[in-house]
Amino acid sequence: MVDAGKQDALLAQLRKGTLQYCVLALLSDEERYGFDLVRSLAETDGMVTSEGTIYPLLSRLRRDGLVETTWRESSSGPPRRYYRLTKSGRAALDAFKAEWGPFRDSVDHLVERKA
Amino acid sequence: MSTTPDKLVERYLKHLEVELDDLPRDRRREIVDEIAGHIVEARAGLEHETEADVRNILEALGDPADIAADARERFEVEAPTATPYKPGWIEVGALVLLLVGALIVPIVGWFIGVALLWISGAWNVRDKLIGTLFVPGGLGLSLFLLVSAGGGGSSTICGDPDPKTGGYPFNCSETGSSTSFTHVLTFALVIAVVVTPIVTTAYLGYRLRRQPAAATA
Repeated sequence: MVDAGKQDALLAQLRKGTLQYCVLALLSDEERYGFDLVRSLAETDGMVTSEGTIYPLLSRLRRDGLVETTWRESSSGPPRRYYRLTKSGRAALDAFKAEWGPFRDSVDHLVERKA
Repeated sequence: MSTTPDKLVERYLKHLEVELDDLPRDRRREIVDEIAGHIVEARAGLEHETEADVRNILEALGDPADIAADARERFEVEAPTATPYKPGWIEVGALVLLLVGALIVPIVGWFIGVALLWISGAWNVRDKLIGTLFVPGGLGLSLFLLVSAGGGGSSTICGDPDPKTGGYPFNCSETGSSTSFTHVLTFALVIAVVVTPIVTTAYLGYRLRRQPAAATA
């Protein structure tokens, strides 16, 4: 029996290393604004607990040059800051994908062996 | 429509701003602005906004303390010391001497206050600058200005001495509206110079007591 706190901490650990690549992946086909990004992430189970934490992450990605932003007028309210993948952002995403596939398979292989 | 949702949002953003205090200013601004934008977008999507809707939006965003903890980690900013800073004699001494130090020991008293202010770990650099700049000398300067304005000051307020009698004119109204403007200005300056050190001390005292408040949502 694993208590709920430990379960949360585990999920938080898993999320920590991967969330930024999920954000980069969401931006790989189209530019998006913050609220839209958060909504997509929130629809995916377990990806975000506090939606607000996406914004420090976006800010960091921008400063690291992995995404760039443009303000665009919105038909329904104040202008929105749109995020778009940069070249190095795409490279980082590709590098992650190359590692992630084999890594996930290895973990699956190990944890599901006895199950 | 009740103003409560607006108040909730305002309180949340204020709280967030306080929690993000350790972050560089531009990053703090960016995060607060983006989250404010998020709230606007989320509220715009509601047909008939209720207070519960707004509370849900804020709760989904998360506790400002959690967002701040995450942001500190992202930007590799050191977390504030786990145990809240306990104000001691250094802080009390700084507050007292900044305000009235110059009255106890002219000039030197205030400088000791400034030294204690900068030695203390209880305030950040911005607070320390405020404490130093508003107002150098504290109430000592106020007293000095009040005395000099009340004594020799009448010459500057009421114009030059009467050339015939050599005395100062009793009635200053003849010198025109610019003089009464000067009066008002002097009065305002005196008030500002007396009030500012008190406000600054109160502010620094408030910052001493400031603890991250409990969650808003």
